[in-house]
Formats: sequence, C-alpha cells, structure tokens
Amino acid sequence: MSDPLFSVEDLRVSFHTDDGVVHAVDGISYTVQAGKTLGIVGESGSGKTVSSLTALGLTRSRRSQIEGRIMFDSQDMVTLEDDQLRQVRGNDMAMIFQDPLSALHPFYKVGSQLVEAMQAHRSLSRSAAKARAVELLDLVGIPDPKRRVVQYPHEFSGGMRQRAMIAMALANEPKLLIADEPTTALDVTVQAQILALLEDLQKRLGMAIIIITHDLGVVAEIADDIAVMYAGRIVERGSADEIFHHPQHPYTWGLLTSIPRLDNPRDEELVPIAGRPPSLINRPSGCHFHPRCPYVQEAHKRVDPRLEAVEGDGGSHVSACLLKTNVRTQIWEGLEAGREPESLQRMASASVGALAPPADASHLNLHGELESDAQLPGEEVQS
Amino acid sequence: MRGSRNLIALAVTLLLAAGISACGGSSSSSSSSSGGGSATTSSGVKAPPLKPGESINGQQLLGKKKGGTLTVLSNGDFEHLDPGSAYYALDYGIIQATARPLFSYPPNSATTLRPDLATTIPTTANGGITDGGKTITVHIRSGVRFSPPVNRAVTSKDVAFALERGANPNVGNAYWPAYFGAGSPAPLVGSTSASYKGGPLKGIETPNNTTLVFHLTKPGAAVFISALSLPLSAPLPKEFVGPLDKHAPTTYGTTYLVSTGPYMIQANSKGKIQGIGYQPGKSETLVRNPNWNAKTDFRPAYLNEIKFSIGGDATVIGQQVLKGQSSVQLDTVENSIVKQAYQQYPSQINFTPGSGDHYLTLDTQHGVFKNVNIRRAMWAALDRMAIVKARGGLLVATPGTHFIYPGVNGFDQAGGAAGPQVDFNKNVNGDLAVAAKYMKAAGYPSGKYTGKETTLIVVGSGGNGPAIAQIVNNAATAIGLHAKVSLVDQSVMYSKYCGVPKQEIDACPTAGWIRDFADPLSVLYAPFYGPAIVPTNNSNWSQQNDPAINKAMAKAALINDPAAHAQAWANIDKMLVDQAVAVPEDFDSEANIFSKNVAPVNMAWNEGLFDFSFTSLK
Amino acid sequence: MATYIARRVLWGIVLIILVSALTFLFFDILPSADPAVLRAGRNSSPATIAHIRQELGLNRPVYTQFFSYMKNIILHFNFGYSFYSGAPVLGLIKDRLPATLSLTVGAAVIWLLMGIPVGIISAIKRGSILDRVSMGVALVFVSMPVFWLGLVVLFLFAKDIGRFHVFLGANTYVGLTSNPARWFGSLLLPWFVLAATSAAIYSRVLRGSLIEAMGEDYIRTARAKGLRERRVIWRHGVRSAITPVLTIFGLDVGALLGGAVITETVFNIPGIGRLNYTAIVQSDFPIVQGTVILAALFIVIANIIVDISYAYLDPRVRYS
Repeated sequence: MSDPLFSVEDLRVSFHTDDGVVHAVDGISYTVQAGKTLGIVGESGSGKTVSSLTALGLTRSRRSQIEGRIMFDSQDMVTLEDDQLRQVRGNDMAMIFQDPLSALHPFYKVGSQLVEAMQAHRSLSRSAAKARAVELLDLVGIPDPKRRVVQYPHEFSGGMRQRAMIAMALANEPKLLIADEPTTALDVTVQAQILALLEDLQKRLGMAIIIITHDLGVVAEIADDIAVMYAGRIVERGSADEIFHHPQHPYTWGLLTSIPRLDNPRDEELVPIAGRPPSLINRPSGCHFHPRCPYVQEAHKRVDPRLEAVEGDGGSHVSACLLKTNVRTQIWEGLEAGREPESLQRMASASVGALAPPADASHLNLHGELESDAQLPGEEVQS
Repeated sequence: MRGSRNLIALAVTLLLAAGISACGGSSSSSSSSSGGGSATTSSGVKAPPLKPGESINGQQLLGKKKGGTLTVLSNGDFEHLDPGSAYYALDYGIIQATARPLFSYPPNSATTLRPDLATTIPTTANGGITDGGKTITVHIRSGVRFSPPVNRAVTSKDVAFALERGANPNVGNAYWPAYFGAGSPAPLVGSTSASYKGGPLKGIETPNNTTLVFHLTKPGAAVFISALSLPLSAPLPKEFVGPLDKHAPTTYGTTYLVSTGPYMIQANSKGKIQGIGYQPGKSETLVRNPNWNAKTDFRPAYLNEIKFSIGGDATVIGQQVLKGQSSVQLDTVENSIVKQAYQQYPSQINFTPGSGDHYLTLDTQHGVFKNVNIRRAMWAALDRMAIVKARGGLLVATPGTHFIYPGVNGFDQAGGAAGPQVDFNKNVNGDLAVAAKYMKAAGYPSGKYTGKETTLIVVGSGGNGPAIAQIVNNAATAIGLHAKVSLVDQSVMYSKYCGVPKQEIDACPTAGWIRDFADPLSVLYAPFYGPAIVPTNNSNWSQQNDPAINKAMAKAALINDPAAHAQAWANIDKMLVDQAVAVPEDFDSEANIFSKNVAPVNMAWNEGLFDFSFTSLK
Repeated sequence: MATYIARRVLWGIVLIILVSALTFLFFDILPSADPAVLRAGRNSSPATIAHIRQELGLNRPVYTQFFSYMKNIILHFNFGYSFYSGAPVLGLIKDRLPATLSLTVGAAVIWLLMGIPVGIISAIKRGSILDRVSMGVALVFVSMPVFWLGLVVLFLFAKDIGRFHVFLGANTYVGLTSNPARWFGSLLLPWFVLAATSAAIYSRVLRGSLIEAMGEDYIRTARAKGLRERRVIWRHGVRSAITPVLTIFGLDVGALLGGAVITETVFNIPGIGRLNYTAIVQSDFPIVQGTVILAALFIVIANIIVDISYAYLDPRVRYS
C-alpha cells in the first residue's frame, strides 16, 4: 500500500472555555488513501467536524490547543505556518459544509464567490475565472449555469446551493475534499443526488473524500473506510464492509439500527441510541460510552478501553470495547435477528465473569501516555 | 440675559447661585467687602473700586484712546433694535450708541438727566414748562443728521413722528400707554381716544423744525420729561420708516434701520441691516455713522467698531473675556466666572449697584393673602438673607427692605438701606415670633394658619428659581400655609400665570422691576397702581387696589417739584410696605467683566451695562 | 425598486405633514408662553397684544392656522416669518444650514474613521488588552455628557482659553467659502466632541455585530477557501456587520442635521440647533415649526437613504 494522501496521527484538540477545557478531539488517528473515501460517523459533539476543521487550520485560536500530526502531501498541517496553510486550504484540500444557505455569503453572487475561491490561489483573469465558474456550475449539474452564476445564494434551492458549494470546493481541483454533513440540510431525494454527484466527481477527478456525517446510511454507498467517533475518540474503524457486517462497538450498533432501511418492515421502529452525548469537559470515567451502553458492566465504569484489532477480521478493523469478541458477535447477531433487548443485555452480563481486566489495565489508566504499536500505527487508547 | 425694563425674569437676570456668597461675608451689606473691580485709567492711575451698595454716580469716565474694535460676547440676543419697540436692557446697549432721544442719562449718573437731542432740559424757569405743568416746549439741536441712506438733517417733525408711532400696534411699543397714552397719569392731548393708532396727535405740535410743544391733559411735566429719555423719543425719518410700519409687525428695526447716534448697524446702501450688520441670533456689527457730528453730542465714541457675537456658553464666554483681548460680556456673567474674576482678575470686573430689585408678590384680592396680617406674617417669616445668598451673595444683592431701590430718587426718603422701621421688616433673616404675632392678629390664635385654602406659588424655573421657591415655601410653611409650588418657564410664569389675574396665583417670588428712568413713579406705578390692573399681561401681580394708595399715586404723579415729588413717592412706598402688598427680597447689583485692555464705562441708569459710546480700548 | 422608493418618499411626505400638524397642536395645548405677549413687550397694553395676536394670526383656530401655513409652504414655499426679528424663516434656515452641515459631515467622517477601525480591531482581537482598553475608553466616551466634554476640550486645548494653546476655540467659526483654513481649524474641536460619543457607540456596536458575523458559517467557508484573513474580515465579516451601524448612522446624521444644540452652543457655532433652541425659548413658533419640519425632513431622507443602502448592501432585501 502506498503512502496515504492524508494521515491523522494522535490528534488532540482542546478548547479553553470559561466553563473548562473542552476535549473535542482526544487522540484520534486515521488515514485516507488518494482517490479513496473515508466516512467519519458520529453524533454531533463527537469531534468529527473539529478534527477536519483542524486539518484546514480552522480551529487555530488563542483558546485552542492542538497536538499530534496531520500529514498531507508530506506537510504537517498542525505545525504549518498560517500563510502556507492558507495556500493549502481551498486549493489541494477543500471543504464543503453542512448548511449551504448559511455557508454561502448572502451578499455575494454565487459566481463571484466561485471566482473569489479561484483567485485566492491562482492568478486568473476575471473573465477566465467567470467562464470557469460557469463550467464548474455545469460540472456539478446546475442547469442554465450562465444565468445562475450571476444569482445570489438565496435565489438557489437547497440542493443547488449545495451543488454550488461543491463547485466552489472543486474550483482548484483539490486532492482531498472534506464534506461535512453535505446532505443533512437537504431532503431525501436531493441527498441521494448530491451523494451520487460526489461519487461521480470522485471518479472523474480522482480526488480523495472525507465525508463527515451522523448518518451511517449516507456513507454506506460511497465510503471505502469508516471511522466511528464518540466523545472525541474513534471507537471503531474499518472498511465499510466490516463496519456494516461485523460491527464491534455497541455505539456502532446503535448507529446501524437507527438507519432507516428500505428493506425494513414499515412497522418496525427505528432504535435510536438512548441518552445524550457526554460533556467533553467532564467526560465519563472508564469507557466514555458506558452511561449509554445497554450492555454496560460494573468494570466498564473504571476501565478505559483501547482500540484493538478485531479477531478474525483484517488488521484494519479495530474497535475499543471491553466486551469479549464472541459476546459482541452474539449480541450483534441477536440485534440483527431482532431479538429482545433484555435477552441481549443478559447475554452481556453472563459473560462478565469471563471478562478479566486487560493485563495492562493499570497502564491504561495513565493519562496521556502513548503506546507505539508497529502493527497499528497511531491507534492508541488512553484514559 | 439681562432683565427687561419691567416685570421680568430677574431670577434669570442674576443667575448667581450660592458659591459667591462666601466673598461677601454675611455680616453687613455695604461696607464689609471691598468687592468690585478697580479699573485702570489710560494714565495708569487706579480708579477706586466700586463697592457693593456704593453709588455709581460719579464713576470715572475712563479711557481716552480713540479707535479699535471691541468684541461683545453675549449668550442672549437682542430683542428689538427699533427704538420704538426696544424695551430690554440689552437692546438699550445698542440704542444708546445709535439713537438720540431728547434727553439721556450720562453713564455716570443714574439720576440726573441731561439734554441729548434737545438743547436744554425744560424747566419752569427757562420757560420750557408752562401752563402749570401741562405744556412742555423742547428745542432740538441743529446739525444732527440721519445715517445713510436718509442723510438729511433731523427736524422736530421726526421726533413727533417717532413718538406718535408709539401708539402704532405694528410697532408694539410697550410703554406708550403708561407714559404718553391712556394709562398715563398725564396723557398727551388726544392720545386717550381708543381709536388712536398713531399718526398726527393734537398733543404734539411742531411750530418749526427745531421746536416741539407737548400738551398734556394734566400737569404731569416732571414725569413726562423723564419719559422723554426713553428710546421712543429718538427721531425717525417718516419717509423711510412710514412704509415699513405698514407691515405687521413693522420691518423697521428688523430689516432696515437708520441711526442718529455716533454708530449705526452696518447696512447696505438701502439701509438694510438684516443679513448684513444684523444676523438674528448670530451677530450685530456697529460701525461709525458717517453723518454723526461730534460737536452735537456728549458721547465721545472712542471705538471704531463694535462687534456683537451672539450665543455660546456663559462659562466659555467668561473665560474668553477674562483671558482675551478687547472683549466684554454683555449679558449676565456666570456665577463661577464672577467668583473667578473677583479672585483672579479683580481689575477686570466691576459691579453696578441699583440694577434692579426682586420681590415676592402676594395676591391682595384672592386667597389667604387678602388678609393684610397674613401678608405681614409672610414678610416677617421670609428669610431675605437666604434669598440674597441664593442670588449670588452680597456682591450682587443686598436684602430688600422696601420698593424704591437704590439709585432711584426717593430711595433715602423711603427709608434707605434699612427701610421702614416696622417690626415685620426688621429681621432680614426672618422672624417667626413676629410672624406668629401677625398670624394671631389675622385670627389664628395658634400663630399658624389653620384654614383649608391652598397657597399657590408659581416660580420661574430658570437659574436660582428652584432655590428661591424653596425659601419661599419654607416661609409659607412656617406660618402654617398649605403651599403648592409650581416651577414653570419664566416666560410662561408671567404670560400665563402671574400676569393673568383670574389665575389667582397667590404668590410669585421671581418678580422684579427695573426703573424706566430715575423717577420713583417708574418703579411703583406700573407694578402697584390699582386702576391699571388688566385681564392679561397684567403688571400689578399683587393686584394692589387700595383706594388710598391709588389716590396718592395719581396725586404724586402730578407733583412737579423734584423734592416734593420724591417725598410723595417715598410716602407711597411706606404705604405699600405697611400694607405688605409684596415682600421685597433683594436690591440688585450687576457684575460686568471685560478684558485687560478695555477701559469700561457702564451705564449706571441701565443695569450697569456697558456704554459703548463711552467704553474704549487702552 | 423605483416603486419602493416612491412609496417611501410618499410616506415621508405624509410623515412630515403629520409632524407639522402635531407641532401646531402641541404649541396650542402645552403651556408655552403667549407669543403675542412676548412680541409686544411685557408691559404692553391689552389692545396692543390683541392687535399683535390678530396680525400674527394667533387668534384663529389652530386648524385654520395650520392649513394656511401648509398652503403657504406648498404654494409659495414660504415658511413664514420670525415673530421677533421678522426675518423669513427659510432665509434663517438657509443661513444656518451650512454650519450645521459642516459640523455634521465632519463629525460623521471622524466618528466613522475612529469608530469603525476600533470596532473591527476590538472584534478581531477580542479579549486582548487592546480590545479591553479601547472598549473601556469607549464606555467612558459614551457616558460623557457632550456639554461637559465640550467645556473640557475648550479649557484644555483652545487657543484663547485653553491650558495648551492648540486649536481654535469657541466662537471662531466662519463659513467654508469665506476662509476654508479657518473653517477647518475652528471645527476641529467641535467635530471631535460631537464625534467622540458616536465613535464610541459605533465601535461598540460594530464590535458586537462583527463578533457575531465572524461566527457565521460563511466566514468559515471564506477561510476554507484559503482567502487571506484581511479579505475574510473586510469582505465577508465587516460587509455583513456594517448594517446595524448603517442604521444608527442614518438616524444620527439625520438627527444631527436637525441641529446639534449643545455642541453649537458650547462652541458658539450658528447652526440650526441653536436657531431652534432659541426659538423654543422665545416661543417663536414659525422658526420652531420650520426647524422641526427641517429635522423631520432630514430624518425621513436619512431613513430612505438607509433603506436604499440596505438594498444595495443586502441583496435579500431587494426581493422581499
């Protein structure tokens, strides 16, 4: 496997607020290969957006603290000078945002916002830039682009605005496109169109894509790999196939069971994950997911799990769960078969006796200590 | 703003609040402080400083240097520049330099008339007063000419025309009725007709170009001659002014003006002043009148030009005058500036006593003050010394003890500074024991009012009005009255309340009166003559209507012998005190400031304002 | 757009007529001094007063006075004559307007030049010493009475009465055309005094709105595009944040053109404010009415301009 285009290594981002230190991203690592798609999935507040914004240097401020490395094109985006970073932004690495209405400036014509994006990175005559803007709008499937290019964002429909956003991100033919909740603000049909567009563009332009979403369903079709984030950490990561077929983490199960599926009987209710995401200032002890985990055991409140390779899958599938692998497999199978939640929970507690604290449990409780692992670079667990 | 000639806002006139009182001390009025500015003559000799209460008669006429421009700073503007309607101290500052009435007071005398346009003062001895005081003959000087564009020589007809237009409503002269017309003790023949609205009058004859003969219906020559010192007697060219007088109000004085004095308002070739030498609310410019002949006038007219700059903040103006060059302040000097000047620039401030008085009018016709003993009790209870302090202290005021004030003929005969020796007048700090005595006499055995009536007190809200309202309220409360104090704008106070008898305002403490000339009649007649009570714009706020007093006034007005005249009015003053128709508050003194290089001459007869035809630069 | 403006102008005219009518009514109802008495002099005979009252038309019913007043304005563009000086009101206003205009325009330029950069820097460097100091100073200026500030600067910096003889002081104003250098010099202190409070308010308002704007998604987009920070702040942040400032700017300028009484008084600048103030004190109704109409006119015009600028600044307004 060639060197990844983009790799995040033990990234930590915290913000100093009046209420305390917010640990938005807490030691995550992942890689994206050129031309591939990574889906980062998690609820809001899981740190998935912060990690991408940090890649673009957009979380730099007097109140933020950023550690770790973000390697892109053999440059470390964490330590790069502001101006060099700016030259990467919107150029080789571009980003599109969740709500295209608020993300586009309401006072400027769509065309001029596109032109601005181009002229930020290359000297282009105004007319050439305009022509290219029309081209880009055409590329993202906006009909009558010549007319549209001189219109304002509020004259566009939601889907068209997102297409315009994408066009803007594509203006400088980026190697990596980060799409933060690109479809959340859109209705279902438009969602599918946008996703199809992204997939199509990826094929034509050969760029890598990171799609950030709270909805596993969104990435099901287009992601090659998926990272599931919870409370600032990656709790499970693997190929899309592994995540969808052998999910290992109870949080991933929750996300999977809450996807509306066309093949589900209509009367079967979606099962949302009970509870709310934890505070990133005062995080729960032990496994951060334990207050919401249906299969929580007493020990889980004390022991902080680390990402470990999933037995039986390729080394790329990792998850951070204290339940034993065979128990997890049984519970997931039970969930898929639609068994009663109570019986699955009993299954978890029955296995508790078998669960010995990991050999290195004491080590795991040490804050901030890294553990190098040649086989799983950058995949650390810490408390 | 300076006071108008009569019932006014003297509270506004003397804006001097507390602060300064420390300078004057509290023991005695006239001799305790060495206040007052001392000015330096051009020869470097220090002129004796005027002390508060000291007569200005005999003030040195400083300065001899000719030329230069004087800048006159004033917060308030002039009201009328037309001698026919001017009736405001500030206006007189310009009138004195631009118009020549038949008689004038020189700046260093508040009491002695001298001929101005006239050649002599008419007396029985020189044949000027005949017919037992009913006919007055006046001769005018030759060689006096109108300023451009009129240019011609002044004749007696111009004086007649000027006087007659006093009855023209478009001119709106304020004192025509009181001294020449129906309201006068001795009206001009023909002027009492209700239909008379100006134009030729039987009572004024001009047998030739230099002679005027006045016929009065009653022998009131003495007062009549004094009244001819008012600006109304300054000549005006009919051919120029007549057409302007057809406008209502006349545009003479606001748009056009001609002059007979040493100065004229800068004008264009047609005599138009508005937008040229007269910019309402902004500026006025006096320049030399090319047609003025120094030989015909007693005014030295040293200055070449006098520029009036209107507006600005009084404290800023004060600083500019004291620290600057060639400037004076025309209107009332800010309290803090008086104090500063008195301490740091003693040679740049002077005080003119006899600039007016204040009194508390009591409604003698309605309410509680119908009872003379309650009025006397109010007098006894009022802390006049506190009012003096509120008005700025002994530098600018002394406690009032009667109604003819210092500098007016009859002041000494009426009791001088101490006033009539009646018990309720004795203690200027207020005497509640005496007040209680009069309340008992009024039928309240407890010494305090026990009735139900409310006592309505209306006070001008400007300046020290609120402080004075408090002092008056204290006195009223001390004798048990149910006082209700209303603070309203000064102009509202007189035009809507105190000057309207049917409003039945019980007491008005910010009343004041300034003489029209040195005759005591001009101080007592208008504010206290019963038959002159009118439904609106009334001057007799006390509504004094005691038949004995009215009769004495009518009689005294016609006494032409100066000593007997003054004595008769002094006696009337004593009657007013006995009846306590009002409570005198204070006799006022006016502070004036000027730059180092200004040799000031102030008009003793007019609130101490600068006489621009005498003032010069060093 | 044209119909929009036409509608606004029509509404403005209605408003001005309404304001005029109200002024008449207030003058009639409120216990103001009797102008006829004031004009006549304070010891005038009742006959004289009655005559003057009739000549000035004060004895007619208030609505008749109003209609003839309006008729004169509309048919002859005649705003009447001062009760006191007899000067035509329109002439007085024309005479005073240049001073007020000079004062307002200069002050507005200064407060924009001061308030906008300070507001931007404070917002961008939010929480820094610079921000705290400038916002602290702004708070001081906001709470400082103009009258007091005027006196302080005069006593400190005026050439004639100041401790440091730097600037031309009170009563030095001349028209622009008669001596431009002196005009400029004489207005420096008043401009500063008039601008100080506004600059402080504007910097605080702009700071607040810019902080809000800089938190908007489109700012993140602009940064993500790789725009330079300066461009992000000016083109994307300030452009949006400036609208609330524009609103108060319109109102302030409109109101100031109606006269800045205190500044005009302290520095003795013969402007509309002093004309109006003196007229109120003297119950010189025609001048009061003229200046009130003028002030209303300016405020209406300022509002229309603000609305049009809004449409220019924010395309969304144009279509709603």
